[in-house]
Amino acid sequence: MKKKTISVRRGLDHVFTYTALIIMAGIFLFPCLWLILASFSKTGSLYDFKGFFPQAFSFQTFIDLFTDDVNGLYPYKTWFFNTLYVAVCSSCLGTVLVLLTAYVMSRFRFKGRDGMKKTTLVLGMFPGFMGMTAVYIIMTQLGLINKLESLIFFYAATTPVNYMVQKGYFDSIPNTIFEAARLDGATNLEVFTKITLPLSKPMVVYTMLTQFAWPWSDVLLPKLLLKDRDMWTVAVGLFNLPETHFARFAAGSVFIAIPIVILYFCLVKHIVNGLTAGSVKG
Amino acid sequence: MKKITDFLRWTPWQVKLSMLVMGLGQLCYGQIMKGLFYLTSFGVILTYFIYRGFSDIIGFFTLGTREENLWLGIPGDNSLTMLILGLFAIFILIFAVVLYITNVKDAVFTARQLQAGKPIRKFRQTLQTAADEKFHMTALAAPVVGVTIFSILPIVFMILIAFTDLGGEVVYPKLANWSFAAWKKIMSLGKIGGTFVKILGWNILWAVVSTALNFVIGLGMALLLNKRNVKGSKFWRAFPVLAYAIPGFISMVGFKFMFSQSGPINYYLDEAGLMRIFFLTNDASAKWWARGIGLFVNAWITTPSIMLMTTGILSNINTDLYEAAALDGASGFAQFRKITLPFVIFSTTPVLISQFVGNFNNFGIFFFLRDGVISNYADYFLASDTDLLINWLYKLSVDNNYYSIGAAISLIIFVITAVLSLAVYVRSAAYKQEDTYQ
Repeated sequence: MKKKTISVRRGLDHVFTYTALIIMAGIFLFPCLWLILASFSKTGSLYDFKGFFPQAFSFQTFIDLFTDDVNGLYPYKTWFFNTLYVAVCSSCLGTVLVLLTAYVMSRFRFKGRDGMKKTTLVLGMFPGFMGMTAVYIIMTQLGLINKLESLIFFYAATTPVNYMVQKGYFDSIPNTIFEAARLDGATNLEVFTKITLPLSKPMVVYTMLTQFAWPWSDVLLPKLLLKDRDMWTVAVGLFNLPETHFARFAAGSVFIAIPIVILYFCLVKHIVNGLTAGSVKG
Repeated sequence: MKKITDFLRWTPWQVKLSMLVMGLGQLCYGQIMKGLFYLTSFGVILTYFIYRGFSDIIGFFTLGTREENLWLGIPGDNSLTMLILGLFAIFILIFAVVLYITNVKDAVFTARQLQAGKPIRKFRQTLQTAADEKFHMTALAAPVVGVTIFSILPIVFMILIAFTDLGGEVVYPKLANWSFAAWKKIMSLGKIGGTFVKILGWNILWAVVSTALNFVIGLGMALLLNKRNVKGSKFWRAFPVLAYAIPGFISMVGFKFMFSQSGPINYYLDEAGLMRIFFLTNDASAKWWARGIGLFVNAWITTPSIMLMTTGILSNINTDLYEAAALDGASGFAQFRKITLPFVIFSTTPVLISQFVGNFNNFGIFFFLRDGVISNYADYFLASDTDLLINWLYKLSVDNNYYSIGAAISLIIFVITAVLSLAVYVRSAAYKQEDTYQ
């Protein structure tokens, strides 16, 4: 008798667990699926949809995305290469800066270190655009308004503020490795380039990729600094698409989201480490 | 006093030269490259101050003295630009002073070397020191300069602007002054003060509710996926990770389309013979709909990261504890309440508070969901009834040039976030144990 109730309870538990799992999966999958479906719709406007579903399917929107810019209104191809340029440059520059900062903060004890730590912590808590008016004026003074370089400088220059994840990684490398190298007569620069960097390949990759992904999703700063449609990045462009071009929005989003999603799935382990670094190591 | 005179009596003439003109002493010691470096920096900084910097610093205090006069063709001063250029000049001045001190110190160092009978350092050796003993300074130079210009300077500028009357009526060509006008407006009972109180109330409610909601759902998902009878938890975990990986603005704009006036949800309401609902549109009835949708979309975007985080933490719990508890006859729920929950809450407190700060300043949600909505019907000043302080700040200072009021609000936000984040930081075990850790 008792065995039976246990197995019933277990069965109920199974039913409950899997229903919850399916509901969860549905909630997260459905909006993505909807966008993917929409990107294959034949007519582009949101008004032509039957609820969630397009009336007819075709691959045309994806082709239009790159070939038809609707009289220069939505030049997705230009936006795409603009963003790629910004992403590559700011990723390279920003990674160097943030790795240097993280390494120094992790390995060296010097005057002003504590002050720097506190400053970066407070700075990191500011939303990026708090000083946007000032950034706009600085960029005007530097003659960089409406130029992609303004974004590169800003993204790269402000990344060292968020060095904590990388510092956590460097902290985890045993000190003895560095001490041995120092005893062998390596300079600090050599220790950094020849020992630390090769040991931290996963962290370097992680940093570069997160830096790379950022320009694809930032709307605010490019919206402020880039005036001409031809200079926009993908995010600003997609943000400005009206409901009548819904399929174009969906296709453009799917096109940039797929590589980013793949990257995330490959990196999920590092990301979890980065996330928990905040809770365990501070 | 005596120390200084002693120092001056001791210093060789080269050091005195360096004190007069940066780099000259080094040149006389035969350190050509270093001397030239200091000398050119000296020249560049001096020319900068003669041509611009000095008047920029004066401009910082006056904020412009000459109003534009189109009749007489007199170009006017732009207070906003003068403020930031003045600030920049002050930063350069600080940098120049630091450089000057290093220059004198360097000359004194060489003099001491000579006194001790050691050879003068060659340029190659200087480079070597930069790559070795002083590696931390060399490495941090570029990051510090970048962060100073693009992060610290704008924020200091923002703080200063809160104490001027810039913005609103007072924009170019009108001249600005230092004043407390913005603070008086926020603290008064006028339209701006009223909007501030309403928005602050909603902002706190939003931060508390959304943080709690996200945490509960995220922890729930982690526990669900951690259950022993779940097969293929990696497969199930992929769905939230998918939502996490999609760039936030795509999800948010996507949801905006979904709940839009002619979007799919309203289509089905129509089909079912119901009235269409103003979910996000500019209408008084949309207030709580939009707030609810905001909470939902925020949860959709954020819970996966909390799920991932708590999963990591859950895997750190010692499983012996559960076995012991099971032997003692504790039920599953009791195990959760007595072991899991305290552990998770204890180890996520810093994250929880940074989540709270993040939600408090969650700009994206209502920026993307309700772009350009301003609720005039409820007497909001350049804001909508879903806006958080940060959204209002954006509408004030970026869209409508209300600089000083926007800056004052950003200072209030800053105080709240800074107090919270420093409290967390100092309390976090990691900060206390940092040096014992290594």
